[in-house]
Order: sequence, then C-alpha cells, then structure tokens
Amino acid sequence: MKRLIIYISILLIAALMAIGYVRTEVPEGSKVNPTEIIFEHLGDAYGWELPFNHDLRIPLPIIIRAEDGSWHCFSSSRVAHGAVYDRFAIGGEGSAYKGKVVELRADGTEYRPFDFSITKNVAALIVTVIIVSWIFLSLARYYRRNGMKAPRKFKGAVEALVDFIYVGIVKPMLKEKASKFAPYLMTVFMFVFVANLLGLVVIFPGGANLTGNIAITMVLALFTFFMTNVFGTKHYWKDIFWPDVPLWLKFPIPIMPVIEVFGVFTKPAALTVRLFANMMGGHMIVIVLTLLIFIFAAMNIWVGAATSVVSILFSVFMLLIDVLVSFIQAFVFTMLSTLFISLAQEGGHHEEAIKE
Amino acid sequence: MELFTPEFGLVFWMFVSFAILFFILARFAWPYILKSIDERAKMIDEGVEKTRQAEESLANAKLIAERYEKEAIARQTEILREADRMKTQIIEEARSQASVEAKKVMDAAQVSIEQMRKEAEARMRDEVSTLAIDIATKVVRQQMADNEAQSRLVNTLLDEISEN
Repeated sequence: MKRLIIYISILLIAALMAIGYVRTEVPEGSKVNPTEIIFEHLGDAYGWELPFNHDLRIPLPIIIRAEDGSWHCFSSSRVAHGAVYDRFAIGGEGSAYKGKVVELRADGTEYRPFDFSITKNVAALIVTVIIVSWIFLSLARYYRRNGMKAPRKFKGAVEALVDFIYVGIVKPMLKEKASKFAPYLMTVFMFVFVANLLGLVVIFPGGANLTGNIAITMVLALFTFFMTNVFGTKHYWKDIFWPDVPLWLKFPIPIMPVIEVFGVFTKPAALTVRLFANMMGGHMIVIVLTLLIFIFAAMNIWVGAATSVVSILFSVFMLLIDVLVSFIQAFVFTMLSTLFISLAQEGGHHEEAIKE
Repeated sequence: MELFTPEFGLVFWMFVSFAILFFILARFAWPYILKSIDERAKMIDEGVEKTRQAEESLANAKLIAERYEKEAIARQTEILREADRMKTQIIEEARSQASVEAKKVMDAAQVSIEQMRKEAEARMRDEVSTLAIDIATKVVRQQMADNEAQSRLVNTLLDEISEN
C-alpha cells in the first residue's frame, strides 16, 4: 500500500512537471503537428537527436554521388536547419524529397543523388552489429577457454536465449541440416532482437526505428529468400513446378505452378511486412500516446495534465508490451525463416510414401 | 508513403552490415557456441541415462543381494538339517556297527567257549575213559586172577561176537 502511494505520487509529480513543460515549451498560438512529429520519429534522419534538445544532433557523415558522377562526403551538421552546403541541402516542405539530401540544380529544380549517407538508421545498424558481434564473440571466447563449463550471469542469459532458439526451433525443424543453417538463423534472431530492443531505448545509442524500417526487414527477408531457394532441394523445385495435384490443375493451364511460384515470392514479402509493421506500430503507439498530452494541453492545461497521467501509464504499459513484442517478433521472424528453409530442404519422403 | 519505400542507401548498408555480421559470427562465434551447447546437451543426456542405469543396477544389485541372503539362509538351515541328519545317521551307524561288532565278539566268544567246552568235554571224556580203563584194568586184574574167570569172560565175549 505504502509503495502504491509512492508510485502514484511520482506519477503526479511527473504530470505536474509535464504541465510545466507544456507551459514553457508550447507558447500560445503555436500548433503541434502530430503527423510531422510521428513520421519524423518513425523515419530516418541525418544526424542523431540528443535527449532533451530538439535541435542538438550528433552529426553523421553524408555520402552522396552527385548528378555529374562526383562523390561528396560531408558532415550532416553543414546542411542542418535548411542550410545549403556546396549545392546540397535537405529537402524542405513542399519538396518531392522532403527530409532527404537533394542537389539543387542551377534552374532551381532538385535532383536526388545516390545516397549512401550514414544516417541515423545506418548508425544504429552499425551499433547493433557491433553489440551483437561483441556479445557473441565474447561468448565464443568463453567457450574456447572454458570448454563445456556453463557460463554465468550475462553470458549465461545469452546462452539460455541461444539455447531457446537453437534447441527450440532450429534443431527440431531442420534436424540433421540444423548445423548448416543454424549460423544464419541465429544471426538473424540475435540481430532482430537486439535491434528491436535498441529501438525501445529512447536516447542515444537507441531510439532508431531500425526494424520498423522496411528496408531493413526487406534485406533480412531477402537473405532468407536466398537461403531458401539457393539451397532448395530438387524435390522443392519439383513441388513448385510440378506439384502432386490432379493433372488438370497443372496442364495445360498451370494453375498450381503459378500459385506456387507466387508463393515463393509472397513468403519473403510476408516476412518483410510482418516485422516492419509490428515494430513500427509499437513505436507509433508510444509516440501517439505521448503526443496526446501535447494535443490536449493545447486545448486546456488541465485536460492536458489529466491526459498526461493516463498517457504515461499507457506509454509505460505499451513499452513493456513492446519489450515482449521485440522478442516475439524476432522469434517469429526466425521461426518463419526456419520453416521456409526447412520446407525447401524436404526430401522425397512424401512422394515415396505415396508411391508405396 | 515514405515509410513504405525502402531507401536505397539503407538497403545497401543493411546488406553490407548484415553480411559482415553473418560472416564474423558464422566464422568465429556460432561454431564454438553451438558445438559447446550440443556437446553439453549430449553430455547431460548421457549423464542422465548413466544415472538411470546406475540406479537400475543398484536396485538390481540390492535384489540380487537379497536373493543371495535368502539363499544363504536357506542353505544354512539345510546344511544344519543335513548335519543333524548326518549326526543321527552316524550315531545310528556307529551304534549298529557296534552292536554287530559286539555280536561278532560275542559269537566268537561263544564259539570259543563252545570249543573249549567241547575240548574240555573231550579231555574229560578221555580222562574219564582212561580212568575207567585204569579202574577196569585194576578191577579186571583183580577179577581175572583166576583162569576160570578168564575163560568165562572169553566165552562171554565170543558169544557176543557170534551173536553179532
């Protein structure tokens, strides 16, 4: 009971602080544009925002290939706040490439150069790669030194996670081929899981909506797609182009083969969209709940105060759910990848059974 | 919508980063980690199996020991019974043998006594006959002092012979 009172009072103080914030930061007349804020947070950016300050950003390198074929590399701080560096700027309101680096032509039109910039997402990607490789290289080093002795503390927890995925999904599904595909599947799981969790950390080096970006999930799904089809067995290909169905379903009009071929491409698409939508949705809900405070505070300060309490409660709840979702989505992505790969690894058992 | 169009630069970097991550981990991390996990799992499985077997054999051993104990007890009683039986048998045998022996001795004694008796009898008969002859001789000598008597006797004897 005493604890509950403490929690409630902390929440109330937070709410009061929110009112104070609203009062100072949102002057009369200025309007909160929720759509813009939401998409800014969900999308990519040049430079990494620091906490408690909207303008102060960690500069990141912009690498682009201009229209004339020359390569340019400069700090993102040079084009911040609408500044024009050389002939490059970030597309502003009304531009077809809003928020992206564009090259300003002499006639005033904009050209979108090839953009290999280290954006916020790319930086987060690199951070994720470093964290994941550090975790597992250290774990591997531990095993090389200590043999079969079970690790403790953090390494033990990581091992439990590895064991959960490896023994829980990869081994039972792929059986004797598990060792061939396990490195890929484990890497996918750990990458997605760490990226998901980092996305939930609000401040640097987290906060990037990495797995909620369709480019990331698409590349991951493509990797699975290649793994599935490059290592697919003869039986797998036969099942696609000449499946075990009545003849009229595949000749002269190849209905089933068309569906099967379509299925080959819908699988990675489903993988892409599932992870992307789930993670983006989680981020979006938390941002929307937070924005509710500002939207209501703009109407009436007391409504805003009341909303802030509810919003904070819901945000915390949603963030906790997102921690769960982070794991579930990484798990589901790995599980589906394993499933697709294992389906393509199936030998002719099925066929033999029918012949018998 | 911007969110649904993958940015080329990000795709490129993602491809490169993930490929690097994959090769690093596949080369330097996963083989060791997965091998250790597999080996440990195998060891634990084997250990469990061994423990189960050990428990089984222990229970078996206990059963066997119990059976041996029972057998031993049974044998013990049997041996004791046998010994008892043998004892009585031996005693019986000894007794019967002794009686046979005694009988033999007795028989022998009897035989010898009989023999001695017969011998004594014979000797006595000899002596008696000798004595009788002596006495008879003496008597005859006295009675046959005269010739008449002698001839009478001869006649009597001759009569007897002839009668026969």
